[in-house]
This record gives sequence, C-alpha cells and structure tokens, in this order.
Amino acid sequence: MNPSLKLALAVLIALEVSFTQVWTVNVALIAISLVLMLINHVTVKRFLWLTLVPLFFASALVWSLTLQGTASHHFLIVLFTRMFVYVYMGGLFTQTTDPLTLTRSLEQNAKLPAKFAYGFLAAFNLMPKIQAEVATIRAAALMRGQELHVWSPQLYFKVILAAMNWSDQLAAAMTSHGFVEGAPRTHAITVALRARDWWIFALSLVVIQVGLFIGLP
Amino acid sequence: MKSWHIRDIILVTILAIFMGVIFWIINPVYTILAAALAPFGLQPLANEIVLGIWVMAGPLAGFIIRIPGSATLGEFLGAAVEMFLGGIWGASTLISGAVQGLGAEIGFAATGYKRYNWVSLSISCLTTAIVTFTWDLFRSGYSAYHFGFLVMLFAVRCLSIFLFGGVLTKLITNLLARAHVLPNVSGK
Repeated sequence: MNPSLKLALAVLIALEVSFTQVWTVNVALIAISLVLMLINHVTVKRFLWLTLVPLFFASALVWSLTLQGTASHHFLIVLFTRMFVYVYMGGLFTQTTDPLTLTRSLEQNAKLPAKFAYGFLAAFNLMPKIQAEVATIRAAALMRGQELHVWSPQLYFKVILAAMNWSDQLAAAMTSHGFVEGAPRTHAITVALRARDWWIFALSLVVIQVGLFIGLP
Repeated sequence: MKSWHIRDIILVTILAIFMGVIFWIINPVYTILAAALAPFGLQPLANEIVLGIWVMAGPLAGFIIRIPGSATLGEFLGAAVEMFLGGIWGASTLISGAVQGLGAEIGFAATGYKRYNWVSLSISCLTTAIVTFTWDLFRSGYSAYHFGFLVMLFAVRCLSIFLFGGVLTKLITNLLARAHVLPNVSGK
C-alpha cells in the first residue's frame, strides 16, 4: 500500500478509536494487525516486546482506574484493548514502512514541499552521529567530574550548539550540491499511488464506520 | 514574520532527534517509576511526573527557532523519531506529538510570535498542559477518575511541564544568549 495513505489510515483509525468506545472493533483491529504482522514475518523478539510492554501499561491503567475512579467494566475493557490497537497498528506500520520511502511518498503523493522532505532526510541520516554526540558530551563532562542529567541545562546547551553547527553545514552542503528551495525537481525513484491503494483506504474506513456505529458493544 | 528555510528545517529536525535520544536514555526511569507506583493505582502519576521532559521539545524549539510552527514541528518530529527508533506506541505517538506541539504552539501564537520571555513561555507551558490533559481525558480514560484525583494529576502535570518546558528551557536559552548564538537564530 502507498506509504502516505497507509499513514493517513493508521492515524485516522487511531484517532477514531480514541474517541469511541466499541471494544469489539478494537479486538477486530488487533486481530487484523496481528495477522498482517505475521504475514510480514514479525520477529518473535519484536512481537514479545510489542505485547508485554503494553500488557503492563494497560493492566496498570485498568488497575488505577479501578482503585481511583468510577469506570464501568465496559469502559475498562475498551481502554485495555485500545492500548493494544495503538501498539499493534503502530508496530505494523513501522514494520512495513521504511522512513526513506515514506518521505519520498510524502513529497511525491502528498505534495510535501521538497525542502521539508530533504531537510528531514538529511537530519534523520545523522541519527547515529547524534546518538554518539550525546554519549560524547556526557563522557566529556564525566571526565571533568561533572555528571549531566536530563535536568542539566549544560547538556541541552551543548546539544543545541552541535545541532546549530550541523544544520549550517548540511544546509550549505545541500546548496552547494545544487539544491534550490522551491525549484521543480525530477525523481529518480517514483512512489506509485494506485487506484487499488485508494480502494483499500476507503473500504477500510467505511468498514470501521459501520463497525463503530452499528451498535456493537 | 520568518518563514521556513532548509537550514531551519534541518535544525528543528536535529533538535527533535536529540530530544528523542535524551528521552530514550531516561525511558527505563519511567518504566521503573510506573512499575513502582502501579500497585497503588498511581501509574498515571508516573506519566504526569515525566511528561514535562516528553513535551519539552515543543517549547524549546519554539523558543529557539522562533518561526511560526516550530514548536509543533519540533514536538511532532520528536514523536516521529521515537516511532522509528522503536517506540511502541506507533501511530498514536504521532497524534500525541502533534497534540503536545500544538499545545505549546498556542502559547507562542497568543503573543503573536513577538515576545519571547517568561510570559510567553509560561503561557505556552499552561496551554500545553491544558491541551494534553484534554487529550488524555479521552485517550487514556482520565474522565473516569474521581475529581480529586484528577485535580492532583493536573497539578503534577502543570508543575512538571513548567519545570522542564519553562524553567529548564529558560535556563538553556540564557546559556545560549550568553554564548551569543541566539541572535544568529532570531536576528536573520
């Protein structure tokens, strides 16, 4: 399926599920996501991770609501299954979509301006460097006997300086390679947006509306 | 009013990734806190306590980059990074990110993106707290809690957001101003 449409579908469903209280639809969504994840060969480790973590949080949430609130059993089941809808649908999305294709699709199909698409990509590809930089900054401070915590302004100060530096350099590098903001572009790889994608998108939404508003528990 | 250029876009994205990485480091703390409070039915409290760090990218990006939309974009991209780093909440992370970012954005929009001081920062923190809390009323079923418990959750949330999004952001920008790097950002 086209990545942009898939993203829109996942976000729309998550949004609708957040504002409605039909647990049968939640269970159906969980089952569908599960089947699709299995078809796409989810690893056992990832599957366990995607199940155990929400299991803990969903149980803790239900337990708190029981102790501190006045929730009905129906509402508790809705909330419990809702957590799993979020996680399984999100898991399915990230498992079947790679960031590069998604950005390309957003640029070509969703008409995201090229400066945003390439700006994001440039920064995303710095990810390993950014992780290393945080480690370096903390290690450098430790060598001077200074421990940087999440609440230390110095940590963020150093991080922001690095970010400013890199964004200057990257922007300059892109300009020197001929990137012009707003100029028309050609695409080496095109992401197809087929009629089939629109059908899946529309049909899924229709089925969910029917499920949500037909009066299921 | 300033508009978006490639450098600002890269800057806000890198900033978002940095915040995502820093948040990733303290993630175990959140889990331990939640596990410790869960038996007493206080798990949401863990959420409220660390929420300030979570939503900090919004006020910080808004305060440093100072282009309309930077708070929203900073927070939203932070969420996108988290999603692709392997955060488990998936599509709902994106929605939460957009909600948190918009909350912070309203604060800066309220002062017309002209004033960047304690007042605009405090307004931004307050709107973030209100908007995210409203979202949780629906999403996490907060509406079913007793009123007293809700008031307590909201108070903790405000405090956490003010400490991280407000006080810490101001301390950071003070350092940046003293290093004379902020005029480069705001003066162009």
